[in-house]
Amino acid sequence: MEHTVREERGNVVVSLKGDVDLEHSPKAREVLLGCVGGGQDVFVDLSAVSYIDSSGVASLVEAFQASKQKGTRFALVAVNAAALRVLELARLDKVFTIHESLSEGIGGGA
Amino acid sequence: MADAPNEKKALEPGAAPTLAADEVESAFELLAEMTSGFAESQDLEATLERALTSVAEHLDAEAGSLWLLDTEREELHCRASVGPNPITGLRLPMTQGIIGRSIAQNTCQCVFDVSKDPAFSTKADDESGMVTRSLLCAPMSFSDERIGAIELINQRSGDGHFHQRHVYPLQVLASSAALAIANNRMAASLVEAERTRRELELAAEIQRNLLPAARPDPFPVQGLNIPARTVSGDFFDLVSLADGRIGFCLGDVSGKGINAAMLMAKTASLYRCLAKTVPSPGELLRQLNDEICETATRGMFVTMAAGVYDPTTGAVRLANAGHEPPVCHAQGGFSVFEAGAPPLGIVPGVEIPEAELDLNGGSLYIFSDGLTEAETQSGDPLGRAGFEALLSKFCDLPLAGRVEAIVDSVSQLALKDDLTLLAVSDEARSR
Repeated sequence: MEHTVREERGNVVVSLKGDVDLEHSPKAREVLLGCVGGGQDVFVDLSAVSYIDSSGVASLVEAFQASKQKGTRFALVAVNAAALRVLELARLDKVFTIHESLSEGIGGGA
Repeated sequence: MADAPNEKKALEPGAAPTLAADEVESAFELLAEMTSGFAESQDLEATLERALTSVAEHLDAEAGSLWLLDTEREELHCRASVGPNPITGLRLPMTQGIIGRSIAQNTCQCVFDVSKDPAFSTKADDESGMVTRSLLCAPMSFSDERIGAIELINQRSGDGHFHQRHVYPLQVLASSAALAIANNRMAASLVEAERTRRELELAAEIQRNLLPAARPDPFPVQGLNIPARTVSGDFFDLVSLADGRIGFCLGDVSGKGINAAMLMAKTASLYRCLAKTVPSPGELLRQLNDEICETATRGMFVTMAAGVYDPTTGAVRLANAGHEPPVCHAQGGFSVFEAGAPPLGIVPGVEIPEAELDLNGGSLYIFSDGLTEAETQSGDPLGRAGFEALLSKFCDLPLAGRVEAIVDSVSQLALKDDLTLLAVSDEARSR
């Protein structure tokens, strides 16, 4: 798994790439919690995630819960078809805010 | 590396790198004594101290000390010392002094006169009250790992200074001491690994006992669980209700390992406790969700399907919280029941809808994603289609044998996760 973190219009955008599995989810967790801890709204770009397992989803859940406690926004954007299927099957689309694109996500919260 | 030989030459011009015959014999005796000491003793610290004493006597040094690297604190820790004022327990920054240089360069240092070496640190002298004139230091390392160093101070005889020929006996001690320390550490980590393995075995035994006892055919609910590691994040259970119906469930905790196993144990225990008094599977999962949410950590969650089967009518009430859709196989056709709510442990207060289905003489299969994600020889996951092919292949077997045959077939593939299968059969009613 690779990741990048950048700022866009006052928001933090985390892009995850590759497999977010048991081996890599501790890193994903660290990055996501670090970003949420900064107090800004966080958007997670999942367009380049090839595989996400339950431990990867758990790292998203934990960051989502942390943002709720902080009162900041946490959303998934540009989720690719494979990852979206995993989230929809588990009805996690009812838990996470999911936007089709980053611009839709950032624009929607303005 | 280039500095050491030059330095040695500068310090001791014309030093002969060879030993006299009696010195060689004496060095071999020392080596034999120390090696057998390291091989025989269980008490490493005492052996290191004895070896240090031997080498200090052999080289007629005033004092000697053995230092181990504490990489966490970036310090050198004196673990053994001989001489008039022992300094065992003293700590130095790991880069300090000639000893620091010896470790950094992984080379022996023979310093004829320390007053001419700017790297010399007086900290050990300040502690011991000694005055160091000359110093001999050999690093201890094993493979690429730096372990520490051994240092000798001042020769009592001769001119009171160390010479190049003194380096070899100290090197001998340093090499065999490094090997003994590395062996000792390896043995300690093996003991620790064995202890952890035994504890995991105990945890696994407790987990196995959380699963229901097997009930032979023709009991209409059968299940099997194969952990991917020692402990499992999956579980299933079944409960005979007072009205003759049978409650059942299958859960899968996110992640793997001991934390998943502990959440599994909690969820399985809560289910066992609630199932007899809460006959509605949706209500049962709602209560479970609220309980798990209260103590959930690290984003962990449980996907779970729970249901109640009525053997007199073939009706099943099923609730699914984020779990892989169960498959119903009846009259040659397959149908699936997707989740109506997110997994347990994420959002409290969620309503979990129930579906009513008629098994109609067929069977319902609930399984963890370890089954559909098992890799076939082509490297692709087994998937729903592969699973349905197995259901068709073994559908004529009695239920317990069928569940076993399917799990056996999947176990032949590359398992990436715990594998659990639960089957509810209405076939007895149709016969």
